[in-house]
Amino acid sequence: MSDLLSIRDLIVEYRTRRGVARAVDRVSLDVEENTTLGLAGESGCGKSTLGRSIIRLVPYPGKIVEGEIVFDVGKRIEYDGQAVEPGPTDLLKLPEEAMRRLRGEQVAYIFQDPMTSLNPMMSIKDHFVEIIREHSPETTEEEATERAAEILGSLGILPERMTDYPHQFSGGMRQRVMIGLGLALKPRLLIADEPTTSLDVIVEAQILDEIAKLKEKFNLTMILITHNLGVLAQHADNIAIIYAGRLMELADTETLFENPQHPYSQALLQAVPDVRKPDKKLAWIPGAPPDLTEPLPGCMYHPRCPQATERCRTEQPMLTKSPSGGIVACHLYS
Amino acid sequence: MSEEPTVKESTAPEKARHHETIVSGIVLRLRRTTKSMGELSLKGKIALLIVAGLAIDLVADLILLALRSHRGIGVPVVATTFLVAIAISAARVLQKHLVSSGLLSRTRGRLFFVGLSGAFCGAAAALAYLLVPQEGATLPVSLTVGNVMLAALFILAFDLYPQLADRGTPGLITAAGLVIVFAITYMTGISLYIVPYDPFTLNVGPLLSPPTEHFPLGTTQLGQDMLSRTIAGGAVMLQVAVLSVAVCFSTGVTIGLIASYRGGIADRVASLIMDSIFAFPGLVLAIAIAAMLRPGVVNMALAIAVVYIPSYFRVIRSQVLSVKELPYVEAAIVMGARDRDILLRYVLPNVLPSAVVVMSINFADAVLTAAGLTFIGLGLPIDVPDWGWDLTFGRMQLQFGAWWVITFPGIMIVLLALGFTLAGEGLNEILMPKLTE
Repeated sequence: MSDLLSIRDLIVEYRTRRGVARAVDRVSLDVEENTTLGLAGESGCGKSTLGRSIIRLVPYPGKIVEGEIVFDVGKRIEYDGQAVEPGPTDLLKLPEEAMRRLRGEQVAYIFQDPMTSLNPMMSIKDHFVEIIREHSPETTEEEATERAAEILGSLGILPERMTDYPHQFSGGMRQRVMIGLGLALKPRLLIADEPTTSLDVIVEAQILDEIAKLKEKFNLTMILITHNLGVLAQHADNIAIIYAGRLMELADTETLFENPQHPYSQALLQAVPDVRKPDKKLAWIPGAPPDLTEPLPGCMYHPRCPQATERCRTEQPMLTKSPSGGIVACHLYS
Repeated sequence: MSEEPTVKESTAPEKARHHETIVSGIVLRLRRTTKSMGELSLKGKIALLIVAGLAIDLVADLILLALRSHRGIGVPVVATTFLVAIAISAARVLQKHLVSSGLLSRTRGRLFFVGLSGAFCGAAAALAYLLVPQEGATLPVSLTVGNVMLAALFILAFDLYPQLADRGTPGLITAAGLVIVFAITYMTGISLYIVPYDPFTLNVGPLLSPPTEHFPLGTTQLGQDMLSRTIAGGAVMLQVAVLSVAVCFSTGVTIGLIASYRGGIADRVASLIMDSIFAFPGLVLAIAIAAMLRPGVVNMALAIAVVYIPSYFRVIRSQVLSVKELPYVEAAIVMGARDRDILLRYVLPNVLPSAVVVMSINFADAVLTAAGLTFIGLGLPIDVPDWGWDLTFGRMQLQFGAWWVITFPGIMIVLLALGFTLAGEGLNEILMPKLTE
């Protein structure tokens, strides 16, 4: 198995009036083919920014400052008379037009909010036909409709509902439609940015199961962005814990849950309520994430870390191999 | 459905329903009222009588005018328009039937209807051109306008009206406005063939005669028949209104869409220009432009169009700015849509309703501005029948007691503007329900 996506030293900054905020700070990640990588962390820690920088759509005023995002392009993509050959390509060096063709066709992105992510003036079928014909103009409308019916069928939406408009669907069904749209072009990588946050737990479980099935069927690689560790425990192969824009720990799911290395990962897992121990007092992490416009010297987590030493306040820890097998950025292990 | 219906037809409820569907009328839908005529309040009865009376009166007037038309072919022209309009209405019924029974898809059904209506109109126009060659292109054009407008009236009455009536008062207002506009346009369209005297020639009767038996609305100072001029006088105004609205709708919406979607410098420059046009009083600017260009329908339309472009721009801009930030536009970008597709398929359909509302109010404004331009002498020559001109001359003659020259064109202008305004206000409430909340 080779790496489908590898990110090297990615830095993304938001230039605001208050100063420069580094939302993603030297993050390096590898995603193997046919695996699911979970990105977890608190709100505002840079999970979504990291996801969006992969498709190069960091919202204004964000900017990718440096780094490499090498993606294994699956097929030849032609644009403006030129072409991107299959094979590892640095997405940050591609021209905008090539990137546009790549979005949807190779990398799909699913947003958090299904209620407003569909055009209210277009029927569901039109959404599919449009996206399919945009990327391969030679497809006829009938073929596109057929493919849409097939995808929606596997997501549990009856084909006769395809002529309906978004307002006639419930939140869960709209999110299924969004997932279906994401998969319409058989992309290699699916980035799901909190796909189930606005849904109730039952629908959440159903949808995540369906995504897992489709992942098998379409040979997908997935990046699942969420702050719900329970979801990751079930659906991710590897988990990356991010804090204040930095990668804190990366390990496979079992190892991370059984044997978290970084004090932040440990604290996060402590804070998950456990129904089997109702008497257990819910733990929390005192303090708040640091202000990203004024980065702290040393480890970003040191003000909240119970095991912080003098070294943590001055020297930034590098990612090293952890005893459990993953990688971790903490002075305890270096 | 072979044997049983014959038995069923005689049963009471079936008969009642059959009866109900037949009596859905021209302007008012009489379905509910026919069933319970006895339960209708006195007010309702009187209103019904007045409306029905007026409708019958209008049709009778039309037939009388056609009989006495100076070109002699009034009856065939009016009859043709009615025939074609009925044929188009039948095509519409057939279309709905085919689509609901699943034989045609929605798009094909629309194509079928448009194609069939076009064929009817085309056939009527070609026939007219071949049978009455001395009229040249005038007769086919008049016939086409008449056919389309009458068909629009029919379809409005039996198809659109129930849908509009469901919306309550705004629907009724829209229907009333559209009826007025369509009826006046129909009258103007076939005006040349139903007027009793040629509205273009002077001295067809005594000078400045009050209403008499031969000249029911009197004559002007130059001996033109007022009735003929009132019937035919809307042509210039309607042409100016349609042309100017077409120009400023297409320009304003396009500039608004592109500039505000692009943002940055393009948006700033466009906004600056539009705001500086907006800062002028509308009529004054129109007068200035119309005075620079020479008199004529196109020039008047252009002068009016320039004045109204900013209102479209403003409305579209504010809408685009909010729509382009919505998640579904972002979702389209993420899926690799082109800017062109995002604009045409995602942004435009969602901002168009507000532009349509501006358009319908813009029509009324354009009519009044056109009247204003003609009134101050920037319109067309005196022998062209035009309500605006009659206002200008009627004003002078009013001092000598000749009230009839100014009254009837004035009423027509008010009616036309009223029609456009009613339709606009109604559409405004139907298309943008948020405004009423």
